[in-house]
Amino acid sequence: MASLIFDNVTVAYPIYNAHSQSLRNQLVRFGTGGRIGGGAGTIVTVTALDNVSFNLRSGDAVGLIGHNGAGKSTLLRTMAGIYSACAGRIRRTGSVATVFELGAGMDPELSGYENIMRMLLLMGLSKARAKANLPAIEDFSELGDFLALPVRTYSSGMTMRLMFAVATSIRPEILLIDEMFGTGDASFQQKAETRMHDWIASSDIFVFASHDLGLVKRLCNRLFRLEHGSIYEDDINLL
Amino acid sequence: MEFAISDLLNSLRHPPLIFHLAYSDTKARYKRSMLGPLWLTLGAAIGVVGLGLVWSQLLNQRRDQLIPSLTVGLLLWQFIAGCVTESTSVFVRQAQIIRNLRLPFFIHPIQLIARQTITLAHNLLVLIVVLMVYPQPVSWATLLCLPGLAIVLANLLWLSILLGIIGARFRDVEQIVQSLMPIIFFLTPVIYKAGHAGVNQAIIWMNPFTYFIALVREPIFGTIPDGFVYIVAIMMALIGWLVTLAMFNRHAPRLAFWV
Repeated sequence: MASLIFDNVTVAYPIYNAHSQSLRNQLVRFGTGGRIGGGAGTIVTVTALDNVSFNLRSGDAVGLIGHNGAGKSTLLRTMAGIYSACAGRIRRTGSVATVFELGAGMDPELSGYENIMRMLLLMGLSKARAKANLPAIEDFSELGDFLALPVRTYSSGMTMRLMFAVATSIRPEILLIDEMFGTGDASFQQKAETRMHDWIASSDIFVFASHDLGLVKRLCNRLFRLEHGSIYEDDINLL
Repeated sequence: MEFAISDLLNSLRHPPLIFHLAYSDTKARYKRSMLGPLWLTLGAAIGVVGLGLVWSQLLNQRRDQLIPSLTVGLLLWQFIAGCVTESTSVFVRQAQIIRNLRLPFFIHPIQLIARQTITLAHNLLVLIVVLMVYPQPVSWATLLCLPGLAIVLANLLWLSILLGIIGARFRDVEQIVQSLMPIIFFLTPVIYKAGHAGVNQAIIWMNPFTYFIALVREPIFGTIPDGFVYIVAIMMALIGWLVTLAMFNRHAPRLAFWV
């Protein structure tokens, strides 16, 4: 049974500009008692999530909507345990797989096959299990002979096919996907949608951030709307 | 300390991943060159031959004495300096992994050391050739280079983690370390030996890298390093690890925001 519980979680992160990230600036500030350069030492903090609470259980397929910068990606990263909360409690049970940035964990110089191994190992599989997953990924990605070529020669659509095939080849209990379907062609989008349907049917937690309301409505059974770091749950049937 | 220790223990559960990453990174780096990783060996060989010829003239020493000791010193230095210079960007370089996957942070510094060890292993070929040209007596004391190397690795690991965290937060550290390493090279007995006349002993033994070189090089040539060399190096490892774990515990949860 997978579950994901957020209890009054706040995530704020610092934005270091070139100024405050330099050691010289910190030393100068130290040497002058912190009064030089008119606030050069102050760090801008962005509160990306503000007192967010929700409770996800197995079988929940959540669509995450909100305009650019509303905090969707931050929320997904916090769900994955990558970003740490500065207040509140997060309880997570179940293994997590993420599809956030295109090409994450890949080495562009290595071939598709070598990258599949690399990503599967990064996702925590043993070498033997990773090798066993290879044919299914080969099949689903439909990249054929391109898998023997370095990933730097791939188009973004092809990279996305590979990433999606790898991420969904293992069956994590919690799957987090950031908007990424823009780059796939129509037939692959169809295929990916079918696979996600299977996924959701096998009653795990699925969170999907997207601007494509139609897709969200087809895939999800709950709808979270993010606005300025706050979360509102809407009725998905009204979408 | 809880966070740091669980991160460390989690990292130790991932050896296949760490070695695969180290191996595939080395492979990717030389993918399109004809000699591949043999360039590492060739580069080291050129350094040893060049410096050996020049310094045996300058120091007025016999080549059969200087070159073997210089080879060991230089290979060790390249290994140590490689770990230290790359450690400042060890987390920043892996930003993509850190921001996309939940993995223990310690795997990145361990991977760095593993990658440098792969390089060192390639370079051992040079040492073998040198030892065939200038044979050295082998005794039981030679085996002491292995525990020596283990102590050096224990020290390099905490140093990489510490520099990695500081380097992720303050991007100048990378440049500072890069510009300091050549000076430290001359303050470390790589070309000369620690006991040489005309060398300021106080400065030499203030330099932690002197201990690292001595711990491995002296046994190879049949001398057992002084007890105090071992004591200082082990103390360095203990204190270093304590400081690093405390620092890691405090700052590593924010690392994903820094890289």
